[in-house]
Amino acid sequence: MVSINYSSREVCCKIVYYGPGLSGKTTNLQYVHAKIPGTTRGDLISLATEADRTLYFDFLPINIGTINGFAAKFQLYTVPGQVYYNATRKLVLRGVDGVVFVADSQPDKMDENIDSLANLDENLAEYGYDLKSMPFVLQHNKCDLPNVMTLEQMDAKLNPTGVPSFMSSATEGTGVFDTLKMIIKLVLDKAKSGGGQTRPNASAVSAPSPDNSVSAPSAAPTQSVASAPTATSVATLPQQPDAPEVVREEVDQAASASVVESAPVSEPASEPEQYRPYPGSQSQKIDIKDKKITPAAFTPAGDNIDSETPLEKKVVSEDTTGETSEDDSLKAPIMSPSLKKTALRKKRGFLKRLFGVR
Amino acid sequence: MADDSLVIYEEEIQQLESLISKMLKGCEAKCALLVDKDGHLITRQGFTHSLDTTALAALLAGSFASTKEIARLVGEPEFSILFHQGKKDNIHMSLVGDRSILVVIFDDRTTIGMVRLYARETSVELTKIFEQIKENPKSGASTAISDDFANMAQDKLDDIFQD
Repeated sequence: MVSINYSSREVCCKIVYYGPGLSGKTTNLQYVHAKIPGTTRGDLISLATEADRTLYFDFLPINIGTINGFAAKFQLYTVPGQVYYNATRKLVLRGVDGVVFVADSQPDKMDENIDSLANLDENLAEYGYDLKSMPFVLQHNKCDLPNVMTLEQMDAKLNPTGVPSFMSSATEGTGVFDTLKMIIKLVLDKAKSGGGQTRPNASAVSAPSPDNSVSAPSAAPTQSVASAPTATSVATLPQQPDAPEVVREEVDQAASASVVESAPVSEPASEPEQYRPYPGSQSQKIDIKDKKITPAAFTPAGDNIDSETPLEKKVVSEDTTGETSEDDSLKAPIMSPSLKKTALRKKRGFLKRLFGVR
Repeated sequence: MADDSLVIYEEEIQQLESLISKMLKGCEAKCALLVDKDGHLITRQGFTHSLDTTALAALLAGSFASTKEIARLVGEPEFSILFHQGKKDNIHMSLVGDRSILVVIFDDRTTIGMVRLYARETSVELTKIFEQIKENPKSGASTAISDDFANMAQDKLDDIFQD
C-alpha cells in the first residue's frame, strides 16, 4: 500500500521482485544499486546465506527526488526464490504496491516459472490482493544466454493477460531500468486512481499550520510544511477541530486485527496516581503525560534527553518500590534538607557517644 | 485489492510524536521509531541521526513478521513484544494496534523494565489514536499524487536511470 506522509512529505511505495530461484531478482537490485547515483539510493541490504542465496529478502530504498513537493520513495524488495522458503516469501509480500515477476527464459526453467507464478497468485490471495488488479510487470531474464525462449514464447506461457513484459539481462543491465520504470509508472498510476478523491480545503490552503510549533522539537521530519514547494498544508483541518487525527487506513488483514486486540499490550490506563510503583507491582499506574519517574539507580548522563528531573522526585520513586514505613521522616525524600539534617545530627551524636569527640 | 493506503497528516504525526517523545523522556531511551508492519517508517524521535532509519524500519518489520510466523507455528497468534539485547544497545519492539510497531532503542542508562513499562502505556495511547482514525476516516485522499505525478516521476527516472 502506498504510504503518504504529509508531515515528512513523502510518498513511499513497496515493489517486490518475485520469481523462481536463481532467476536474477537479486541481480536486478544489484544492478540498480550499482548504476544509479549514491544520492538517489540507500544501501542494498541483503539477508542471504553464506552461498549468497537470498534467505529472507534484499532491500534497496531509492528516492527519485521531489515531485510536487513530495519526496517519491520506492522500496525494492526481492523474495527468496527457493520453493521451501515460501513462509518468508509470503511475509515480504505484505503491503506490496507492485510486483515484478522475474522469469528465467531458459526453456528447461519454464516449469519453475509457472509454479512460481502460481505461488505468487496464491500468496497474494492470502493477503486479499489480486494479481489482476495489481501493478504487475513481467521480466524475462537471462536473454544474454544462448538458446533462450523469445519474448513471444515467454509471454504465451506466462502472460495471458498481456501485462507489460521485457526481455532482460540482469547481469548486463539490459531491460532492468525499463522494467523498473514501467512498474513505478504503474504503481503511481494506480495510487492516483486508487486515492482519487481530493480533499476539500486541502489544495487551496497555503498557510502553514498554526500549531506547527508543536512538532518543532521533533527531530524527525526534515521538511517543514511551510517550506515545501506546493505548500498544500493539510495540517489545518477545519472539518474536525476537536478530533483532529486522521489516518486513512484500512486493515488489510482482518485476522491480525482480532489477534491484536487480545494481545497484552492493550491495557487501559487508569486515572493518574502520584507516583508509579516499580515494574512488578501491578497495582498502580500513572498517566505519563504529567508524570516523570527516573530510576534512582541511574543518574542522568550528560546528553540526557531530560535534564530537568528534580532530584527529589527520583528518590521518592525509589521509596515507593520498597517497604512503606510509618516513620514520618522516612516518608519525606531521603535527600531532602530536613532529613539530611536529622541524619547528620544522629551521626554526630553517635560519634560523640562512642569517641567523646565533638 | 482494498484501498488500504496509509495516509498520515501533519496533526496525527504531531500527536504520535508528542506521545513518543514523552515516552522517551520518561524511560530515558535513546530513540524510538514507529514503524508500519509493511516496513515503512511512520515517525522517529530521539537521537536517530546516526541511524539509517529506512533500512532499520524495513529490517525491524521483517524481523517482526518472521516472529509472527514463528508464533503461529508454536500455536500463538502473535508475539506482541520482541526484545534484542546487545552489549551496549538494546532494542525493544512492541505492537501498536494492528499494523504498527513501536521500536525503542536504549542503552544502559535505563532498564528494560522501565522501557517496557513506558512502551506499554504509550502503545495504549497510540492505539487509541489509530483506532480513532479508523473510526472516523476522512473522506479525502491523496492530494500528494496528482494527475501528472506519474509523468513527472517518469521524467525524473529518465534522468536517473541512464545506462
